[in-house]
Amino acid sequence: MANYGALAASDLPTTWAQLETGIDPIMNKLSEGLSYKRWMDLYTLIYNYCTSSRMYGNQNDEPINSHSSTRGANLMGADLYQNLKKYLKEHLDTLKANADAQMDEDLLLFYTKEWKRYTTATAYVNHVFAYLNRHWVKREIDEGHKNIYDVYTLTLVTWRDHFFGGGPGTIQPKIMDAVLKLIEKQRNGETIDSTIVNAIVDSFVSLGLDENDSTKPTLDVYKQYFETPFIAKTEAYYKMESERFISENTIVDYMKKAEMRLAEEDNRVQMYLHSSSQKPLLLSCETVLIKNHTGPIQEEFQNLLDQDKMEDLSRMYGLLSRVPESLEKLRHTFEVHVRKQGLSAVEKVAESAQAGPAEAGEEDEEEEPKPKAPAAGAPRKPGDVDSKTYVDALLSVHAKYSDLVKTAFRGETGFEGSLDRACREFVNRNVVCEKSSSKSPELLAKHCDSLLKKGSKITDEHEVEEVLNSVMTLFKYVEDKDVFQKFYQKQLARRLVNAQSANGDTEESMINKLKDACGFEFTSKLQRMFQDVALSKDLNDQFKEQTSRTQDKVDGPDFQILVGGTGQWPLNAPSTAFNIPDDLLKTYERFQNFYQHKFSGRKLNWLFHLGRAEIKANYVKTAGKTPFTFLTSTYQMGVLLQFNTATSYTFTELATNTSLDTPTLKSALYGLLKSKTVTVDNPSKVWEPENRWELNLAFKSKKTRIKVDVPMRAEQKAESEETHKGIEEDRSMVIQAAIVRIMKTRKMMQNQVLVTETIEQLKTRFKPTVSAIKKCIDMLLEKEYIERMEKDREMFAYVA
Amino acid sequence: MPVILQASDGQQFTISKPVAERSMLLKNMLDDVGENEQAIPLPNVSGPILAAVIEYCEHHKDEAMPAADEDDKVFEASKKKPDDIDQWDADFMKQGKGNEELFEIILAANYLDIKPLLDLGCKTVANMIKGKTPEQIREMFNIENDFTPDEEEQIRRENEWAADA
Repeated sequence: MANYGALAASDLPTTWAQLETGIDPIMNKLSEGLSYKRWMDLYTLIYNYCTSSRMYGNQNDEPINSHSSTRGANLMGADLYQNLKKYLKEHLDTLKANADAQMDEDLLLFYTKEWKRYTTATAYVNHVFAYLNRHWVKREIDEGHKNIYDVYTLTLVTWRDHFFGGGPGTIQPKIMDAVLKLIEKQRNGETIDSTIVNAIVDSFVSLGLDENDSTKPTLDVYKQYFETPFIAKTEAYYKMESERFISENTIVDYMKKAEMRLAEEDNRVQMYLHSSSQKPLLLSCETVLIKNHTGPIQEEFQNLLDQDKMEDLSRMYGLLSRVPESLEKLRHTFEVHVRKQGLSAVEKVAESAQAGPAEAGEEDEEEEPKPKAPAAGAPRKPGDVDSKTYVDALLSVHAKYSDLVKTAFRGETGFEGSLDRACREFVNRNVVCEKSSSKSPELLAKHCDSLLKKGSKITDEHEVEEVLNSVMTLFKYVEDKDVFQKFYQKQLARRLVNAQSANGDTEESMINKLKDACGFEFTSKLQRMFQDVALSKDLNDQFKEQTSRTQDKVDGPDFQILVGGTGQWPLNAPSTAFNIPDDLLKTYERFQNFYQHKFSGRKLNWLFHLGRAEIKANYVKTAGKTPFTFLTSTYQMGVLLQFNTATSYTFTELATNTSLDTPTLKSALYGLLKSKTVTVDNPSKVWEPENRWELNLAFKSKKTRIKVDVPMRAEQKAESEETHKGIEEDRSMVIQAAIVRIMKTRKMMQNQVLVTETIEQLKTRFKPTVSAIKKCIDMLLEKEYIERMEKDREMFAYVA
Repeated sequence: MPVILQASDGQQFTISKPVAERSMLLKNMLDDVGENEQAIPLPNVSGPILAAVIEYCEHHKDEAMPAADEDDKVFEASKKKPDDIDQWDADFMKQGKGNEELFEIILAANYLDIKPLLDLGCKTVANMIKGKTPEQIREMFNIENDFTPDEEEQIRRENEWAADA
């Protein structure tokens, strides 16, 4: 072992005396600098002392843990460690005496300044004691001795236990008091030097030392001495402030204040607190600022909704969503509000429909003169609203609140649910649906029809697509989906029969949407209708080809036919007989043969009432000498062709010749008369049997093609009612089938239970009324599918 | 900025900072005191030994410093394989170095806190001891046998279990 000069290993008193003289300037006057030599001398002094075990080993020193050194080599250092500890204590005692004279901000400045000096200096000391750390301290820790730390940790522990906290007269409470005062100043709007707080926090965090493993920091000190009092103070502060503010200001202003305060506190964490405080701090702020005031805030919700205050609504959601249970009440209020809005929108539509003229009432007829508004004396019923206006009104309410949910309520699912429930209510139960809940689906289907029909106001494909999508939004809410289906099918049939569908792709896309929403079964008939149209096209081509090969191709008229399966087309057989005009008879027979030959066993039912014809008139011409073409129904054609033989008939004669029943003939003549194709002798008694009908040989028009086929208004009405009646009948069957199914499995059932069960089974298709079910039960009793029990008349039994 | 080291005999060595920082002692001190043009006195290391140590540090200057927690793992691994010594290191320890010089290097490594060099030195000594009888070891390291024959017999009995089968 080589030791040199003044640094030669010597006994403890000498060594420590030298060490103390070296450490003192580091602790107190580090700013004056340190030379390599001084640093090196201190390190070497400790090194020499610790490596001198053989020389002084067991003579002068009492190792603190004497038994620890029995195993392996005896390591020197315990006494240096103890001396250093004692030195640090004394050093801090002096500091404490100085700190006691300080208050508030001065104290904080003093503390942070001293903390910085102390930790910097002790980092040096730690390095100088590196040899002690590496050997003696390491051995002690390895052997599991508590309360022995590496030198740097020792300096922190000593600071914590003898200066910061620990015994009485420690300065920690005074520090916290000053810090809290400082933060309160900032909360009151004063500017403070936040770096002071930051330094204090850093110091508190650094003092968190795991007693078992000094390398692992803990937050105990920070949590106990800083966070807990800080949060308590915060709560008290905001409790006072919020109660005062809310009593002096509006809720809207309060929400702004609360939002600002929460942001401030969040920012405070970023600025100078430990990040772990964010959660507990904000939680307590939320409790004091929001949770304690939920009631008044919730009460303001309705006002904000009434005034459409998007920004405030959004703010309210932002605040209350921090206290999730408080949202339930808002959701409820929101649901009621949306339902009211929907209902009043429908009421407005109904009122204006009642008040205003039937303007744009039915868009079905574009060219011909509008049917007269009903007589002034007869007010229109609420059900007579225009489908577009109605659908638009529903949609606008939905769109408005859907948007509100998305933006202000961040698309929260609970509010989505409220919106859905509200929409379902006002879509299915509003003033227009008062009489019949199926009015909504009917109008919706009608709206679809007007969109998909030729001559729709919207022609751009994408735009139509968008509108159809919005229709689907409402469709989702419709309860009586079967009604929609019926009307849609009916109108689709009409579009296809009259070749009025505007765009095949759009039709298909709409059917796909319905299929997505309701399943394959819902649209299977609709799809088969499209197939029939395609097949008919081929059929026509084949027939034309066959005809052209036969000799008598010249004398027949142009002929087009649509053959549809009875099952999928919601069409009725004609109610009247009809004499096929001679000019057509041949073609009729030829096709009949052609078809029977191709599909033997199939029966063709000719639906003449759906047919249309174009007739070129040779007796009148336009100014430009072009013959007029009349677009007529098949029956009208039957009537018009009579005039090839004579120019004047009585009503009775026409009826005999055509075999048409009176209402059908009237309807056919109505269009002819309206268009002035024919005239009557006595206009005041039009429908007198002996009134003469004459061909108008002086017919004049600016157009070359004249639409004669105008249905009477009463017919349209009848059709809608008929469809509804059809639905009632269908439903009756469906309900009866459901009851029989239930009874078959249950055998016996109490009346009320049966009704409930039936409603449950059918709810996906429609909502049957209790009275409808009662009616069906009566029918089944009559048909003896079920019977009443002898003992209990309220009980039914299944009759096998 | 180069660093000047001054050995106990006054001999000075100018080396680059990365070389000096292989010693944790020097690294900490340079961090604390800051760089200046003074020579750093190393009162416990003689010129020739310091020269050898510097040679070692020069050779290893570009290696990554073992991280604190990695230290134990490296140590554990090397304990299992005492023979596994880098060729340069083995040559470095052998070349013209007597036992006296070897121990001085170990002491210097401990003083300067150069862990890899300390490990290398200890491993070298371990390899020297391996497979030798106590008498041979005593002779090699010039150790006086201070056991009485009785004591020696007792130790032998106590450690019988560890003897070769």
